Amino acid sequence: MSAPPAPRRSYREAGARRRLLAVLDPGSFRELVGPAERVQSPHLAALDLPAAFDDGVAVGRGTLQGRPVLAASQEGAFLGGAVGEVHGAKLTGLLRLAAREQPAGVVLLLDSGGVRLQEANAGLLAVSEILRALLAARAAGVPVVGLIGGGWGCFGGMGIVGRCCDGLAMSEEGRLGLSGPEVIETTCGVEELDTRDRALVWRLYGGKHRIVLGEADLLVEDDLAAFRAAAASLLTRRRVLTLERLCQAQEALEGRLADFGSCADPVDLWAAAGVVAPAELPLLEPEPFLAAVARARRPVP
Amino acid sequence: MSRTWDTARRNREARLQRAAPLARGKWVEAAEVPRLLEALVEPGDRLCLEGNNQKQADFLARALCRVDAARVRDLHLVMSVLALPEHLELFERGIARKVDFSFSGPQAVRLARLVSEGRIEIGAIHTYLELYGRYFVDLTPRVALLAAAAADEEGNLYTGPNTEESPAIAEATAFRDGLVIAQVDEQLQRLPRVDIPSGWVDFVVRAPTPAAVEPLFTRDPAQISDVQVLMAMMVVKGIYAEYGVDRLNHGIGFDSAAIELILPTYGERLGLRGKVCGHWALNPHPTLIPAIEAGFVRSVHAFGSELGMEGYVAARPDVFFTGRDGSLRSNRAFSQTAGHYACDLFIGSTLQMDLAGDSSTATRSRITGFGGAPNMGADARGRRHASPAWLRAGREARGDGPGAPRGRKLVVQLLETFREHMEPAFVERLDAHALAEAMGWALPPVMIYGDDVSHVVTEEGIANLLLCRGAEERAQAIRGVAGYTPVGRGRDRRAVENLRDRGIVRRPEDLGIEVREASRDLLAARSVKELVRWSGGLYRPPARFRSW
Repeated sequence: MSAPPAPRRSYREAGARRRLLAVLDPGSFRELVGPAERVQSPHLAALDLPAAFDDGVAVGRGTLQGRPVLAASQEGAFLGGAVGEVHGAKLTGLLRLAAREQPAGVVLLLDSGGVRLQEANAGLLAVSEILRALLAARAAGVPVVGLIGGGWGCFGGMGIVGRCCDGLAMSEEGRLGLSGPEVIETTCGVEELDTRDRALVWRLYGGKHRIVLGEADLLVEDDLAAFRAAAASLLTRRRVLTLERLCQAQEALEGRLADFGSCADPVDLWAAAGVVAPAELPLLEPEPFLAAVARARRPVP
Repeated sequence: MSRTWDTARRNREARLQRAAPLARGKWVEAAEVPRLLEALVEPGDRLCLEGNNQKQADFLARALCRVDAARVRDLHLVMSVLALPEHLELFERGIARKVDFSFSGPQAVRLARLVSEGRIEIGAIHTYLELYGRYFVDLTPRVALLAAAAADEEGNLYTGPNTEESPAIAEATAFRDGLVIAQVDEQLQRLPRVDIPSGWVDFVVRAPTPAAVEPLFTRDPAQISDVQVLMAMMVVKGIYAEYGVDRLNHGIGFDSAAIELILPTYGERLGLRGKVCGHWALNPHPTLIPAIEAGFVRSVHAFGSELGMEGYVAARPDVFFTGRDGSLRSNRAFSQTAGHYACDLFIGSTLQMDLAGDSSTATRSRITGFGGAPNMGADARGRRHASPAWLRAGREARGDGPGAPRGRKLVVQLLETFREHMEPAFVERLDAHALAEAMGWALPPVMIYGDDVSHVVTEEGIANLLLCRGAEERAQAIRGVAGYTPVGRGRDRRAVENLRDRGIVRRPEDLGIEVREASRDLLAARSVKELVRWSGGLYRPPARFRSW
């Protein structure tokens, strides 16, 4: 008889604050600009849409394994974690604070479909401000790491934010990308990407494929404790940004396109990258999965 | 003048002679089937087109749609489930005129329209067991069109895991000089096992595509809500544990899937393994896998199979009924009998309930029928063997009244106080009454009658109707768990508090259940993938349930 899986506390199903409380040291989280201050979107009311007292993101201070960190957690239940003006300003402010305060790191719990379309240009501007503040914090010597395991994944502008971090941890259920599956289906047609094929959507955007492509560093179970351990581990792996490294990354991406540009399905890519039983990858637990793809992984420097 | 006693047999011989040139022995080419049916079927015949809850004789249904409607017409269909568009096309083309059936799930709206246009005459809507019963009394098919997995040269049939109703239909037809035609997925030299002997079968055709099977009993744990977990906790602690329910049947739905999935966690913590939920009349629900692996489940007899569960079932012969070939042997007629007479409890979800406790899934624009729920969800008044759960329910229902001791079946109805679109689930009058008036039926389509219901469970609590004395008390008990629906707000608060003091209405806190603890974290599996892991990779879910 197979051993029954141990009951886990799902990261994917937890809300933004429950995730934060579980990832940071118990009792250490102190929220900044919390819901009691009611800093909420000025745009949604004009569209007769309900606002949230926190604009869908919780930011604040805490400790992780005793070391001071700043942290943010996007709430997918509010407009899919989409970035509006206030939401973006809270993330930008947190990253600027990091550059000033020099904590041991910034932990971003990403769960977002991207820019909040209702806020149009304000949301787009907010994303560029987040990117600038993130790179400034890294340049000031503060590592910024991301966790992706929520129901909305990490798409659009937030997908770029994720890839600008020092490191990313993902669960298989977490998804990372620029254009989401529905966007691709709508603009390029169902022949390009059939979003009803959920297995294909997760093969393409899910954590395992991102690990093979070298876009994510750690693959974790959909479990709050596993994400906590991953966040602590990522903070020890700072990646200093240099021109040389960026050039290497560009070369790696060009190599990926040359090697795999004709693959129609991630399974084809896994096979081309040398995985022995590529069709079996989706069912493997993280550890055997990592062993199976060890030689196939293509880290982007 | 001497009377002839074998008219049906002579008629059968005449039909076989007409059909003989189209067959090679018992085997018929797929392209010849419409002509074969024209030769075999006579106008006005009673015909059973095997339409199960799951397996469908879909090729034969399509072939019957293609016959010359001038030659084959006015058929009287006797079949359990109207599931395929072709089933109703037969009426639109005039090939069939009348139907006796049990269930019409996917075609419920179109059926209602055809009935109101006068294009279908409904004999009656039955439960499964009633319909099978009438196959052997006054609705015996003249021709039966079956679906099987494989046949050999002689025409023996192998039905594989989805045997379902085939033996019952074949027996009724073959032994009253009827004609049995089977579509099969493949022809084999040696069958893995014989489910229907060739002597009952007249013609066999290899269908161009395998018979359609729907995965009707797969519920994705990802869609179970915290509220459903709360209701499941109340059922496990407040009913299964209290009565010691060891033989049971679950309906289909996320509510009962939640119960199955908290047995290995919550049920284990309450020390219930080995005490409750040992023996089941149930399709192989994927959500039962964790309870089987955790050692709760000792046996399961199945009405049909479930797509993707074949390998898992075959690897657990101690639990499931399996043939010498290793695969599941299902049989809807026997499992329905087991559910009615051999189980102490039925639990199922419903859409609408009134103050008498009558419940229904019918609405004005849909004729859904019954399936098997009314037989499961009814006290078996002919039952004569005792069990602790049955006796206790009987004591609660009888009180200290006179007469001989007698048991009762536990019939539990699960419903959230509001269903989708904020429609109240509790109503003063069921839509079923309006449907019956519109259709001119003598009986409103009530799925479960209130006097058979023992417990109503909502997110607000459990109402024990066994303990209620009189219609007014029942109505207040139902109002007492009806939440913020108009029916719930119409409660007499003092009367409900009195019922609560007497243990007739019980809230989660009365049962020692922390509402805060009711979360999806209690589910032994929260996704289809976790079910696959519990099964050790043996469960192979259909593509639509996979996100990997």
